[in-house]
Amino acid sequence: MLRQQFLLDIEDALKNLRRRPLRSLLSSLGIGIGVTALIAMLSISEGAKKAAFEKISSMGINTLRVEASGLRHNDSAINLSQGLSQEDNIHIGQWLGSRGTVGAYVRKDNVLVRAGSRTAVATVLGVTSEWFAAERLIVEKGRSIDDGDIAYRGNSCVIGRSVAVALQSDILATVQLDHHPSTVVGVAAPRGRLLTEGTGLSTLDFDNTVILPISSMPFAKNVAGRVRLDGLVISLAAAQEAAILSIADQVKQLLARNHRNVEDFTIVVPVTLLREAWESQKVFSIIMGAIAGLSLLVGGIGVMNVMLANIAEQTREIGLRMALGAPKSRIVSLYLWNSILLTMSGGLWGVLAGLLLSLGIEKIADWPVVFSTFSLVVAPLSAIATGIVFGLHPARRAASLSPALALRDS
Amino acid sequence: MALLEADKVSRSFVAGKNRSLALPEVSLVVEPREFLVISGPSGAGKSTLLNLLGGLDRPSRGEVRYGGQSLTAMEESQVALLRNSAFGFIFQTPHLLVDRTVAENISLPFHYGEPASKNNMDSRCRELLSYIGMADLADRYPDTLSGGEMQRVVFARALVRRPTLIFADEPTGSLDVDNSEKIMKLLQEQTRQGCTVVMVSHDPEAIRYGSRVLRLEKPPSPR
Repeated sequence: MLRQQFLLDIEDALKNLRRRPLRSLLSSLGIGIGVTALIAMLSISEGAKKAAFEKISSMGINTLRVEASGLRHNDSAINLSQGLSQEDNIHIGQWLGSRGTVGAYVRKDNVLVRAGSRTAVATVLGVTSEWFAAERLIVEKGRSIDDGDIAYRGNSCVIGRSVAVALQSDILATVQLDHHPSTVVGVAAPRGRLLTEGTGLSTLDFDNTVILPISSMPFAKNVAGRVRLDGLVISLAAAQEAAILSIADQVKQLLARNHRNVEDFTIVVPVTLLREAWESQKVFSIIMGAIAGLSLLVGGIGVMNVMLANIAEQTREIGLRMALGAPKSRIVSLYLWNSILLTMSGGLWGVLAGLLLSLGIEKIADWPVVFSTFSLVVAPLSAIATGIVFGLHPARRAASLSPALALRDS
Repeated sequence: MALLEADKVSRSFVAGKNRSLALPEVSLVVEPREFLVISGPSGAGKSTLLNLLGGLDRPSRGEVRYGGQSLTAMEESQVALLRNSAFGFIFQTPHLLVDRTVAENISLPFHYGEPASKNNMDSRCRELLSYIGMADLADRYPDTLSGGEMQRVVFARALVRRPTLIFADEPTGSLDVDNSEKIMKLLQEQTRQGCTVVMVSHDPEAIRYGSRVLRLEKPPSPR
């Protein structure tokens, strides 16, 4: 019985709206614009959140990254600290114990690598054996650099996927790094780039690297007979932000002590960056949400106006329906459906316009956008909720009419 | 037992500080199958009384009873159900929905009250269209009908739920003589078929059809 009444009221409401097509279209326009703004806001916000997460994930959520910031030769502090060293690496490793793994590296960018007649320009890394575990770099073919390679200063290397493709080299192939020959013992699984934009760290394309034992790295800089490291990667077993921050703080103190308080290193804690990114994203979402909410509010007021105008025009019809047996609840239902159908139609084309607008923004402004099921469900639901909220007052007003007086309306 | 009773009913309207008496105290009894005509000069409160009897309005004082049950004490939803199932209304102006066909207008009372199947609705509608002589006009829209045809559609709509009581407010007020006669004959036939009719009219020709005439006088103006 209820279903039949619902269907009859929806049918009547649709016919009511068709009487004034332009008025109905204009009032749904306001809601449509609100929904468009809401969809665009949610998709841009989701896109930015995903981009931030991808960036930080590339650095490792529970990872600390230390990079030599380099002092100028005329800086007086250069006599106090020789920069990042193997001593720092060993010291941090001992202090961490089972709480994490430390890998050290030295790097040289834009090195010409040859294999036969083929060449590639790659970044050459000299690493400790722990570096692979600390960096979570998987060797998909062959093996990684081990303690034996370090101890015997072997000429073995692991190459990234892009280098392997460019040189058409596989395991046991010999590659020339400038004039230093090296034998490929492993090919790393594709990993992509280390996204460090805005962090002060150097970027790195893992797929375009040649990784050597640190002891046989031909391009290492030596200071006072010791290898000067370009960076440390510390992978932590702890996953909670508080624990990571506590360890980061202590690592910083330890390094500061080792370096006699000379700040010749940068320490980046990705989990902090993630939190900061999400915080700023939250502010952006609140602002955009407020704009979308305001659009819906304005649209809702428009719908309410149209509903009141419709009811004023249809007073005699309301009286007639009551005379024919419509209880107040059915009059409320009829005009509430009027309002819901108006906002629902606005919501539907608003979703479509929102999708197109988001894709346009992605193309023109190069902002990443992500369409989540949440946004595609929430936006039309917001339109329907607006219809209910702003349609309720006119609907109740219609139902409060006395049938006798409504029938007499001129 | 009387079908319909009005016990000392009066109706006044308040607008700001002014109170106007639309209907002074009236008591009446309507028996089953009666054709009661309420007549009187303009402003006597004929339509106001009809609205009170038909449950379209509530009296300021007094009580209306249908089958011994007080309409005044009933919930609005119960009165609405009564208007749908037991009462039929014919107004001076047709009050048809312009964007619905003749058949849809006649079926409108089926949108409310007890649900009816589509088959039942359609067959009742066809039956009434034949009865009023408009079987071939089911799919026409009201703006293509003459005044007499529109009033016959309203008549059919009033009968669609097989009411026991028909309230007619100046049903011939906007019709020519021929159409007035058709409507009055249809109403009279209803009383022969067991229906009760309460009609407001000041048309002497229409009043002739009533089995009883109740004359209301204009209430004295307040000094």
